[in-house]
Amino acid sequence: MTVAESDTVRNRVRIAQETMTPGQLAALLAFGAAIAFALVFVQEPLVHDSLHDFRHAAGITCH
Amino acid sequence: MLADYLKRGVAAGLVAGVAYGLYIVLVASPLLGAVHGLGGGHDSDHAHGGEAGHGHAHEAGGAHGHEHAEAVSETTAAIVSAGSGVLWAILLAGTFAIAYYLFEPALPGDVVGKALTLAAAGFFSVSLLPWLVLPPMVPGAEASLGIDARLATYAGLVAAGALASGLSLAGYRRLAAGGRYRAIALASLPIAVVVIAAATLAPSIVTQPAIAGDLVTAVQGATVLSQAALWACLAGCFAWFHRRAGNAGTDRLETDAASLPTA
Repeated sequence: MTVAESDTVRNRVRIAQETMTPGQLAALLAFGAAIAFALVFVQEPLVHDSLHDFRHAAGITCH
Repeated sequence: MLADYLKRGVAAGLVAGVAYGLYIVLVASPLLGAVHGLGGGHDSDHAHGGEAGHGHAHEAGGAHGHEHAEAVSETTAAIVSAGSGVLWAILLAGTFAIAYYLFEPALPGDVVGKALTLAAAGFFSVSLLPWLVLPPMVPGAEASLGIDARLATYAGLVAAGALASGLSLAGYRRLAAGGRYRAIALASLPIAVVVIAAATLAPSIVTQPAIAGDLVTAVQGATVLSQAALWACLAGCFAWFHRRAGNAGTDRLETDAASLPTA
């Protein structure tokens, strides 16, 4: 096995593309998007205020 | 393969998240609560410079606690904040694991070195660089830009930080053969350029009229340190899980690579 030759960033992308189903990729993207959305962008007062201490503690920009 | 990395990332995020959640409950919440009190114009025992004559803008001289009508109780806020601290760590660690999977071949050093390098790049891009323009907001902060403009600025700075980190890493790889210290010095140039640009060119958007400067610095310092600790912790845990899975992981990589149609 020639790990040194084949182990490149491009190869990693290729392996990911070819060993994962589109469904898995979608789930992966949704995972990131959902939590980022929930934590950073939700401006609903009830949710927003519940997260108050966390947002300040994490230095997240919205207020 | 990628799923294995993600699994280790989420596990590392859970470990780091529990520590970070405890930090929020035990340190950050009480600290922010106290600062809120000062900014609200009461609790004169703890107020030094900032309080006299500077009430919260929308709360002229209130004699007791949170008139600052909040939608939920402080207890709820503390619990939800701790929970979201755990989620935040899992999110960071999950994203970290995916990035680690993609960039593992390009990162320098052994498992720990790679993980810490990537964590440093993440901390720089997600937190440090954006904070030079939009510093962590202490309660009572006032911003001259609306929330949409600030989120856009934040996103732009994250992209700029990621780009600079990538350039820096690529530069290091190219130059590493010609001497390690020279390579590090030259590779830190892109980072230095964006840092200096962000620190000098950006107008100050956030001001803290209600709270004393020292206290603002202390709260911001706690924020910076706690985020740095979170990144270090999740990278350390990830490296530990990754190394423990060590040989198995390499086998899987080989199997995955071998199962590809040869190009």
